[in-house]
Amino acid sequence: MSDKHDPYKVKDTGHEWDGIKELDNPPPRWWMIGMHISWITAVIYCILFPSIPLVNRSTEGLLAWTQVKKLEKEFAEVEAMRAPYDEKLLAMSPEDIMKNAELSNFVQGSARVLFGDNCAPCHGAGGAGGPDFPVLADDEWLYGGAVETIVETIADGREGMMPAHGTLLTKEELDDVVNYVVGLSQGKLHEKGRVVFMGESPGEAVCFGCHGEDAKGMPDMGAPNLADGIWRFSGTEEGIRHTITHGVNDGEDDMTRKAIMPAFAEKLSETQIKKLAVLVHQFGGGQ
Amino acid sequence: MSEALVEEKYNYGVVRWFTVAAVIYLVVGTLLGVIIAGQLAWPTLNFDIPYITFGRLRPLHTNAVIFAFGGCTLFASAYYIVQRTCSVRLWSDKLAWFTFWGWNLVIISAVITLPLGYTQGKEYAELEWPIDIMIAVVWVAFTLNFIMTIVRRKCSHIYVANWFFLAMMIMVTYVHVVNSLVIPVELFKSYSIFSGVHDAMIQWWWGHNAVGFFLTAGFLGIMYYFVPKQANRPIYSYRLSVLHFWALTFGYVWLGAHHLHYTALPDWTGTLGAAISIAMIIPSWGGAINGMMTLSGAWDRLRTDYVLRFLIMSLAFYAMSTFEGPVMSARVVNALSHYTDWGIGHVHSGALGWVVMVSAGAIYHMVEKLWGREIYSKSLINLHFWVHTIGIVIYICAMWVSGIMQGLMWRAYDEYGNLVYSFAESVGAMHPYYAMRAFGGLLVVIGAVIMLYNVIMTIVKSKEPAAETTAAAV
Repeated sequence: MSDKHDPYKVKDTGHEWDGIKELDNPPPRWWMIGMHISWITAVIYCILFPSIPLVNRSTEGLLAWTQVKKLEKEFAEVEAMRAPYDEKLLAMSPEDIMKNAELSNFVQGSARVLFGDNCAPCHGAGGAGGPDFPVLADDEWLYGGAVETIVETIADGREGMMPAHGTLLTKEELDDVVNYVVGLSQGKLHEKGRVVFMGESPGEAVCFGCHGEDAKGMPDMGAPNLADGIWRFSGTEEGIRHTITHGVNDGEDDMTRKAIMPAFAEKLSETQIKKLAVLVHQFGGGQ
Repeated sequence: MSEALVEEKYNYGVVRWFTVAAVIYLVVGTLLGVIIAGQLAWPTLNFDIPYITFGRLRPLHTNAVIFAFGGCTLFASAYYIVQRTCSVRLWSDKLAWFTFWGWNLVIISAVITLPLGYTQGKEYAELEWPIDIMIAVVWVAFTLNFIMTIVRRKCSHIYVANWFFLAMMIMVTYVHVVNSLVIPVELFKSYSIFSGVHDAMIQWWWGHNAVGFFLTAGFLGIMYYFVPKQANRPIYSYRLSVLHFWALTFGYVWLGAHHLHYTALPDWTGTLGAAISIAMIIPSWGGAINGMMTLSGAWDRLRTDYVLRFLIMSLAFYAMSTFEGPVMSARVVNALSHYTDWGIGHVHSGALGWVVMVSAGAIYHMVEKLWGREIYSKSLINLHFWVHTIGIVIYICAMWVSGIMQGLMWRAYDEYGNLVYSFAESVGAMHPYYAMRAFGGLLVVIGAVIMLYNVIMTIVKSKEPAAETTAAAV
């Protein structure tokens, strides 16, 4: 408040409301100058930038600025930084990338955020897994842990399939096969359950068809190993019973387990998928 | 004038009820704010109960503080000021009571429908169409009563506080009605008649004018009465009030576009929004300096008059946030600040610093006059002032740091052109600031509870015979 004069020396306007009077001071000089600077600034801003709507377009402004141009320019700057590496990656297979220490480092840095934004919501930070979502940092693979297979999984997605067995088996058969599966990773053999598993009982289960006679799974079909103590959904007796009863992605069963990995081929570029595959492979369990 | 005569001359009853409602809603609204601030810092506080999750309580918080607390404060002070500055009773007592019960019915409807998930999904305009109609009816009744009271005034000129209330009433009617134009499909489900970017633009035209006219013009009306009254000094400059009134009134309606930078909104619209926003700093400061200069020669009063402290501090926050807002509306700053906590910090420096503080000053002043008794405890007003001020400062600082940090993390690249942080990492980095913000907000709630206690005790004491005529009624 730079005004030196005593504000109460001026006259008031002669009005009074409930005891309140108004003085007739002029607005402070700096404020009036500020008002003029304000409208001049607004006018200059409108001359520099697109501002006046015409029939099919607007004035372009002296700077010919548009938000799309700004976006393209910023993308181009980042692309220019990435280009020397991305161009090399484009022609290389994921395996060749992993053999090149410099590119491998680049990919690690580059894919970390890709993973954080696209994969971590289900698979957890660092591929540690989440409730009902597979761990990526171990060496147990549903569909195989070769880097090309990982590329395929990311690009096209995966959808597990196991029919619900609740109506196919009798209560006793179900109990038996649950006990058999529970026993597999505990080194116990439940003979009656094995009979069901092998499709030799009257019930319609043919578990070995997908999980294999040794129950060690078939990566070609995404059928998990049941004998290693690592569980896709749950390893408790109750959990295993639920999986067998209701199946996986069985459209007929409301309580079925969900196991859907979306396809990223349309969301991410080929190079981005390649980078992610290398990162996931290098989490520790790649084959 | 004796207390009995004032009582007879003016309708104080409706003012009293709105005042008490405002004080209660301040506690409720800020408490909701602390709950959702806590949920952001510690998500388990959602308790997996859909009705109290962040997404449903957040609109309840904004509606409670803006329309329940802010609205009741505006009704109370507008009815109080218009009667006293026009020296005439309200045009219609019945209409005034209709607005009291109608407005509270709106608030109760919000409390029921928002947690149940009924929403139009428009910020600060979430309430569904039947409630929107109720708001419009009550608001128009308020406006009519106010205008007719002015028409019957006993003095030749209309006081500046009333210009601001009138500007608020007219513009809020206009933007509320247009933004609420919907096609109803069910009792609590409707679709906006606007689509795409037009819908977004209409929404923010409303959104920023809720700030500009409801939370700024209306509260400037409050400022223009209570600052000179409490300081017992004339308004510094009539000409300044004319200039900044018209500059604000014509300027504010352009600003909504600055909420939609870097979206499908055409570039030219964004330019106009930003250009006028920047040009609004000085007009906004016009109000702040007119209030502060009114205190010229009476600055020593701030040492002893805690109510004046609230009023003057509110002007300082007003000047600060009306500088910050235009800065954030410039595209180059907006690219960093938009979608971050900086916006939340800015809103709260305006809401807690300006709106709540000027309201607290007005309410403490009015309570003494309305109940004809000195406030129960002056030192509790001082305590409220400090708890509230410290709470705001903690809140705003936390949001500045976290907002700017978010903006920088989202755009950070390493030397290979790779993004440095995933989104989830930026969320994780916010945790300490969210905890700090919840603490700052808690102080604000404590301040509001202190005010509620002080007001209740004043009312209780006013009923005791010994307390009579301790304060002048006029």
